[in-house]
Amino acid sequence: MKTIFFTGKGGVGKSTLSAATAWQLAERGENTLAVSFDPAHNLGDIFGVKLSDSKKKFKDKLYLMEIDLEKRSEKYIKDNIGLLESIYSYLKPFNMDRYFQTLKYSPGIEEYASLTAMEQLIREETRFDFIVFDTPPTGLTIRILALPSVTLAWIERLKRIRREILEKRYTIHKIRGKYSEEGTKLAYNEDDDMVMKKLKEVEERFFRLKSFLQSDDNSIVVVFNPDFLSLRESQRLIGGLNELGMPFRIAIDNKICRENLQRAESIERELLSDSKATLLRVKENSSYVSEKTYIIEENLSDLFAQ
Amino acid sequence: MKKILNTLKEILRVIGIAHRGKITEITAYEERELENIFILLLLGSFSGIPSPPAFIAVELFPYLQHELHILEQRAQAADDALSELAGLFDID
Repeated sequence: MKTIFFTGKGGVGKSTLSAATAWQLAERGENTLAVSFDPAHNLGDIFGVKLSDSKKKFKDKLYLMEIDLEKRSEKYIKDNIGLLESIYSYLKPFNMDRYFQTLKYSPGIEEYASLTAMEQLIREETRFDFIVFDTPPTGLTIRILALPSVTLAWIERLKRIRREILEKRYTIHKIRGKYSEEGTKLAYNEDDDMVMKKLKEVEERFFRLKSFLQSDDNSIVVVFNPDFLSLRESQRLIGGLNELGMPFRIAIDNKICRENLQRAESIERELLSDSKATLLRVKENSSYVSEKTYIIEENLSDLFAQ
Repeated sequence: MKKILNTLKEILRVIGIAHRGKITEITAYEERELENIFILLLLGSFSGIPSPPAFIAVELFPYLQHELHILEQRAQAADDALSELAGLFDID
């Protein structure tokens, strides 16, 4: 299974191009799933169908899906609050349990929900040959893609402290041993300690996701337009991706016409001066989308399918 | 005779607990402080220090009752930290 991420500034044509790619891949006989992560979904509009949070068959070998982030964050919070409430149930008489609801508004939960959704798709939908992701605009995409690295760094630190705690507990247990009741109640073994177990579990999940995102099975496509705003933002995006160790392999210069061809060339030169990415130009108005027809002149699927 | 032996055993046991308690005192103190630091890091955003992504804390919370208890105790004794150290090292 391979994944393709379409990234770039808002309005450059990520959704259209990702839809076109998914369509062309399906036409070639590849089993394809197109997923939209952009909160302002228009994957459904492009294909003229109504989509939801679960995948829907559009035609043979082409499935579509729009991730409902709000619903997913709520579900995540609900699951975890449920667990918290059952453990701290003695707080019920004081109505303290409702304070856990505050967690719903803590920052980062939405990014986490996106990442979890992404991870789940990559883990579960292996029967597809391609998963094409349409991402939200630059800033959010970088934050979501950076989350595994940031999380792994934190977990590493927390694990180190936890290990030290467990070592000390073990020492105390060894000396006090059966002479003390309190010392034996606390877990001192890494395998018995629930906190350590949970940390390792989260670490494992994120490590797998990070290695997948950095692997050759994942292609990141940067879409841009021949204008300077788009150039600057793409440069920032490319810088961010390089820092994360997820170099982009394909650049698409979208909306080119005779009038802006010269500018397009100079922008492409500046953007791709020190990268080995493949460049593809897509002409203005080359895609035509309606309920019945879906045409795009340029061959996008060649970039991904061998 | 058996009664005396049992009493003697009990006395030895108590002495054992006291001694073992004494020699692990400093390690236990360190361990408590580490747990305090651990939970403080997770709850960092409440006290203004940089904290890990909130969801790590959310995932771990259900298992951190013990640490939360320590945190609370430490907070209560916060204005008396020096005397606890003095007690630990037998300084009068």
